[in-house]
Amino acid sequence: MLKFLARGTALAAMIAASSLAHAETLRMWGPEQITEPLVAQLWNGIKADFEKANPGATVEFMPPTGTISNGAVQAAIQSDAGPDVILTNSGIGRISVVKNAEQIIPLTDQYEKRGWKDKIYPWLYAELKGQFGGEIYEVPDGLDALGIWYHKDLFEQSGWKIPESWSEFETLMKSIEGTGLQPIAIGPRTTGSAGHLFGNLLQSASGKEVIGKALRREIAWDDPSVAAGAIRLQKLVEAGYIKKEMAGLDLDGASRLWFNKRAAMFVAGPWFTANARKAGYDLANAGYAPMPSDIKGAAMPTGGVGWSWLVPVNSKQPELAMKWIDFMLSDAVMKKRAQDPASTMIYPREIPGVEPPTPVLKDIFAAAAGGVGYNPSVYLPGTVLDTYFQVIQGLISGQIGGEEGMKQIQAKMAEAK
Amino acid sequence: MAIRETPGSKVMAPLSAAPAVAGHTGGISARMSKRRTAGSASPDGDARTAFWLMAPALALYGVFTLLPIAATFWLSFNSSAGFNTSASFVGVDNYTKAAHDPIVWKSLVHTFIWLAGHVVMAGGLGLLLALAVSRLRTTQVFFRTAFFLPHLVSLAVVGVIWANIYDPFFGLLNTALTRIGLGAFTKGWLSDPALVLFSVNVASSWQGFGLYMLLFIAGLQNIDRSLYDAVEVDGANAFQKLIYVTLPGLREVMTFVVSLAMINGLKGFATVFVMTNGGPFYQSELITTYIYRLAFQSQDHGLAAVLCILLSLLAIVITIIFNRWRARLSQ
Repeated sequence: MLKFLARGTALAAMIAASSLAHAETLRMWGPEQITEPLVAQLWNGIKADFEKANPGATVEFMPPTGTISNGAVQAAIQSDAGPDVILTNSGIGRISVVKNAEQIIPLTDQYEKRGWKDKIYPWLYAELKGQFGGEIYEVPDGLDALGIWYHKDLFEQSGWKIPESWSEFETLMKSIEGTGLQPIAIGPRTTGSAGHLFGNLLQSASGKEVIGKALRREIAWDDPSVAAGAIRLQKLVEAGYIKKEMAGLDLDGASRLWFNKRAAMFVAGPWFTANARKAGYDLANAGYAPMPSDIKGAAMPTGGVGWSWLVPVNSKQPELAMKWIDFMLSDAVMKKRAQDPASTMIYPREIPGVEPPTPVLKDIFAAAAGGVGYNPSVYLPGTVLDTYFQVIQGLISGQIGGEEGMKQIQAKMAEAK
Repeated sequence: MAIRETPGSKVMAPLSAAPAVAGHTGGISARMSKRRTAGSASPDGDARTAFWLMAPALALYGVFTLLPIAATFWLSFNSSAGFNTSASFVGVDNYTKAAHDPIVWKSLVHTFIWLAGHVVMAGGLGLLLALAVSRLRTTQVFFRTAFFLPHLVSLAVVGVIWANIYDPFFGLLNTALTRIGLGAFTKGWLSDPALVLFSVNVASSWQGFGLYMLLFIAGLQNIDRSLYDAVEVDGANAFQKLIYVTLPGLREVMTFVVSLAMINGLKGFATVFVMTNGGPFYQSELITTYIYRLAFQSQDHGLAAVLCILLSLLAIVITIIFNRWRARLSQ
């Protein structure tokens, strides 16, 4: 009997030891709103599905302390106790910061090996291939489409409509200002928020092609054709349509102004649905339209790759990280996320037969169906971004003119490698 | 009590040679001396022991202080795009770049203004409140605690609280001004280029003044009461007592508070980082916030290292000047 017990115990210990040997923990940085119950519910479901599909694997979420833009991702990687896989705000500007610092690994071979190139839009794959001489360092998780959010009820009551042309848009802002409301809220203390409105204005004033050329350095940023958007912002501030005091607001402060209907419009992307939900705003009342433009076809949302998966060079579980990304790109997970009420973005490939969970997302998807323009915040080199955001703050606080501001951005572009 | 003189026992000579007050005391000294004589006691041995006792502290000091200083100097002569990249020697290029960078000069000026503002606002408020609170009899403990409480709050939290107070549309300050009929005085506290540094400094000083107040209260309690009695006999009024007794009596504490406030002022970072991130358009940029942005956002570690050295030099120069001034004052 004693022998039997001893053998049983030894066998149990062996099984336990063997399962421990196979136990793998994947530490994942993200998602951003994991502390929100609805978002947590979705992600915990995905985690459970992944763990079921990969016995012995455990996924551990690390709530992000920031992004690449504020150095949080870099610091987390450098700590060597950081994540094995990262989901963060991306775009070539941000990715080049961590790529140049040799903090993330190239994933180009995985695109071939795991067929990821067929799991994202062909134009997106082509764009990624063209960024670092053929090497790809990110796997897009979501795309951004920045445009004007407005209150449907307020606009209906006042007989306002987002117009087609810029001059009509100026008239609309004058009319809104006359009622005592802020025409547009912006929180440039949060750099991303500053870039959202500014990118929209650049696109509206110059069109996608010109901004694309400026980003590829085929045309200078202080060229009048590019600087027109900055001058537009300067004029909006001078006219009082954007208050100088807004320069002291961050994204939360500006959002608060919009959610409380003290501001009529706000420039944001699909992710703003999460902010709205958190603020208790009725999403059925949110309308969305691209920034008006006098250039034919230029009235389109700006954006690009908004969020991507990255694998740090010091990932303790690189293979598991690849499996996780593979899993996230699967049809099942894509559909699950796209249909979930916590959904806040445009996915990197078409998902047929899936209805966006909120009407405003439906509007955003429709506006972005014809493509999106550039949001320079995600395309500019990291060394230029700081100047770019400070110039926007300078324009809003009335410290600098549009032409001078663009000269400063161009000077930084010339310095950047 | 014959003690054979050895080089080691000389070190203990004063103790051994001291007259024994009681028999057992003499016995202990003798035993100690004997042990040292019989053992490995020698100047070399003592030095070795001292070295090994200090080794852990020295190692920590070397790894966490000297090595980073050396690395910063090395980095300042190199170009490095990030943590894992191999740096390349660029000579004094980073120093030249720093000298020609207008934001460096701007942030340097802001750092001086910030420093002066912190000393005056936090130190000054600490002194005023100490004078007021120390006169209270029954409620002193309550007010002392209440005024010290902000010091227990993290600077980052202070930044968030004050950013909300300063919110131009919903903030407490502008709302209060409007409610009491002073709407004309509402401002964009964090957007007005002329105000932003001051506004953030107020928040930072609010967090810091409690400690200085406590130090001043301790100083006030040490002033000899008979000095007040003496000047009262001479017919001095409250203001004269302040000028001729209280402030001279606080001189030592004041120099300590000023030096502490200067150190804290130079370290100013968190409130600026949280409330404005150096903006709008660099109007609240300090050397510290610029270093952070260069190192962690722009990945220009070389230039950031130069500014770290500049900040250290600044601290050294200010400390030397202040110490000389203090020495002259106490002569």
